[in-house]
Amino acid sequence: MGFIDNLDFLDDVRRMNKRQLYYQVLNFGMIVSSALMIWKGLMVVTGSESPIVVVLSGSMEPAFFRGDLLFLTNYKEEPIRVGEIVVFKVEGREIPIVHRVLKVHEKSVCFAFILLFILGSLLLLREDGSVKFLTKGDNNQVDDRGLYAAGQHWLQKKDVVGRARGYVPYVGTVTILMNDYPKFKYLILASLGIFVLIHRE
Amino acid sequence: MATNTKSSKGLKSKTTDQWSVDKSVKIDKWDGVAVKNNLDDAVKKVLVENHGYTESHSLMDGRLLICTVSVGFALYALLWDYLHPFPQSRNVLIACVLSYFAMMTVLWFYTMFCERGCFLVAHDKDKAGIDPDNVWRVSSVLKRYDDMYQLTISYFDGVTNETTASSISKSVANFFDENGLLCTDLFEPVVEKIHTELSTSKKTK
Repeated sequence: MGFIDNLDFLDDVRRMNKRQLYYQVLNFGMIVSSALMIWKGLMVVTGSESPIVVVLSGSMEPAFFRGDLLFLTNYKEEPIRVGEIVVFKVEGREIPIVHRVLKVHEKSVCFAFILLFILGSLLLLREDGSVKFLTKGDNNQVDDRGLYAAGQHWLQKKDVVGRARGYVPYVGTVTILMNDYPKFKYLILASLGIFVLIHRE
Repeated sequence: MATNTKSSKGLKSKTTDQWSVDKSVKIDKWDGVAVKNNLDDAVKKVLVENHGYTESHSLMDGRLLICTVSVGFALYALLWDYLHPFPQSRNVLIACVLSYFAMMTVLWFYTMFCERGCFLVAHDKDKAGIDPDNVWRVSSVLKRYDDMYQLTISYFDGVTNETTASSISKSVANFFDENGLLCTDLFEPVVEKIHTELSTSKKTK
């Protein structure tokens, strides 16, 4: 009996008919979908598969600290230049790395390249398919060759997730916490989900 | 053995009791949404059960359809993006995102212009089955942090094609006791009063 009496918080759900129950599930789905669609929309607009990332390491201090939120774009027509901060993926590593470009090699005729660049970057983007570059963390002693996959000396355009366009300091600290304590993350997500599901509109 | 079965039976009947609709329910009286839902349900009960009108679900079904389609777009985008990672899935993503937000706009318009806070459409079917239905539309407003419950009932006469409406605005404190239990004996007369007012006004005309 006590068990049933303790289920008072389910009263809302108990009183629902089929339509309301279905709507309750849909409502939860719509909250998740809205977030998802905003994310996918950002992906399309910025051209980056992950338009917002959180800095997880201190290797770019003092430019970025742990927990900074980075906003990325990845427009194919913009050439990669020395000094830019790129986010890239390395085979065999799940988490992308945020580091600064140290050296760039481009396979293009220099003069024509500059002319084209002035005339319109749209033409140029089809040209410079082959770019090789090297990166290094500002706070690291050596360049990133040791981080790359075995035998890899250079990064290419396909490795790039995006280029840093702006940042918000320390907002991502929560993300770092959640990454460090995955159980905490699932607990929060589960309790939010249950709240939305059993609470009538 | 016998006692065992008996107790399990008792448990079961208690469970079904609690799951049944007509049990008066205790709510958190400080939760405005719960208060409104409870009052709305009571109005619905008066019209549908006491007067035997048939509830029309088309408004709710419309909303469910819009929501289902939009969630469908989101799921499709998720699936497609999973199967064809980002740069290839770009066009599908654009289509899905645009359709999703279009559906959200549709939903907004639907709420604003079709539902307008209406939670019950009940048809009073002509017993002979000749005249068109009379339609009762009930809507209510309970503003956040406000105690005034505004109930509007409109009546559409199927024969004369005339619509009459009447509304009251009363503090919810009139209908709930201290524990958050709805006093149906206080609330139902209020609904009945509007109901008679509307149904007699058509007869005098």
